[in-house]
Amino acid sequence: MKTNERTYLSSIKIPKDRIGVLVGQKGKIKRKIESMGEVQLDVDSNGGDIEIYQVGDPLKSSKSISVVQAIARGFSPANALTLFSESEELIVIPLRDFAKPGSRRIEDIKGRIIGTKGSTRRIIEELTSCKISVYGDTVSVIGDYVSLEASLKAVNMLINGSRHRTVYTFLEKNARKLRLQRIEESFG
Amino acid sequence: MNKTGVAHIFASQNNTIIIVTDMTGAETIAKASGGMVVKNDRDESSPYAAMKAADLISQKLREKEISDIIIKVRAPGGSKSRIPGPGAQASIRALSRAGFKIIRIEEVTPVPHDGTKKKGGKRGRRV
Repeated sequence: MKTNERTYLSSIKIPKDRIGVLVGQKGKIKRKIESMGEVQLDVDSNGGDIEIYQVGDPLKSSKSISVVQAIARGFSPANALTLFSESEELIVIPLRDFAKPGSRRIEDIKGRIIGTKGSTRRIIEELTSCKISVYGDTVSVIGDYVSLEASLKAVNMLINGSRHRTVYTFLEKNARKLRLQRIEESFG
Repeated sequence: MNKTGVAHIFASQNNTIIIVTDMTGAETIAKASGGMVVKNDRDESSPYAAMKAADLISQKLREKEISDIIIKVRAPGGSKSRIPGPGAQASIRALSRAGFKIIRIEEVTPVPHDGTKKKGGKRGRRV
């Protein structure tokens, strides 16, 4: 171990039940993040504090911060590791901003975004080709710039109380526009 | 000898502003924004505009012979959104592609230790 070459990057606190996912079977996931992101992860399995140290390329190691954050916010390791590709980004929406402390509004919103047996979540994911995770008091989305724009708008519509049907029609209308926009974006 | 600059990237939902200063942060070396490179107001925050702005920056930096940069990214912060806009990632990538040696990337979004009330009033923003 070259411990003297590493520099401190940041520390993230993650929920206790996500530590097992971050480390993986016999440290498989942790090792994968460390090799792909050129970082070192110090996991404190009692408190849930993850310390990230940069070993190589700063660009990759800054991406690995968002990978750890994605796993903390309920994404599976397979989905979180897609963040290492260039265009994908993670956005976390704290639902506390929309509810008064102590009210049951957060539970309502979570239910509306997930839908019956996850139907609403699946429809948003399919029509915008992004990944959504509802965990604790947060909603998180992984996707590229074009799909994030549409899916965040849909999530915000649901939070503000639009009917599900309205959101679905909005997404269906946008689906074709998204495809065109994505082609445009890739050519610059 | 390598000259080092600090690239402050401010990525909001409406624009991306890049300012490169010397290590003290007092002397501006180069600056560019999304609005300088696109025509439509709504495109100012797009990744494409951020990329173009970063290209402009890298041209100016090459003239001034700066090779190493430290990147500091921030979102509006404070009582406003703490999520960086779409231009942040794109401009970092463009700067690294331009051949500068990036020493480190820092997140410097201002986070209040409890400050003022968010704008919009008690009943929220009414559209």
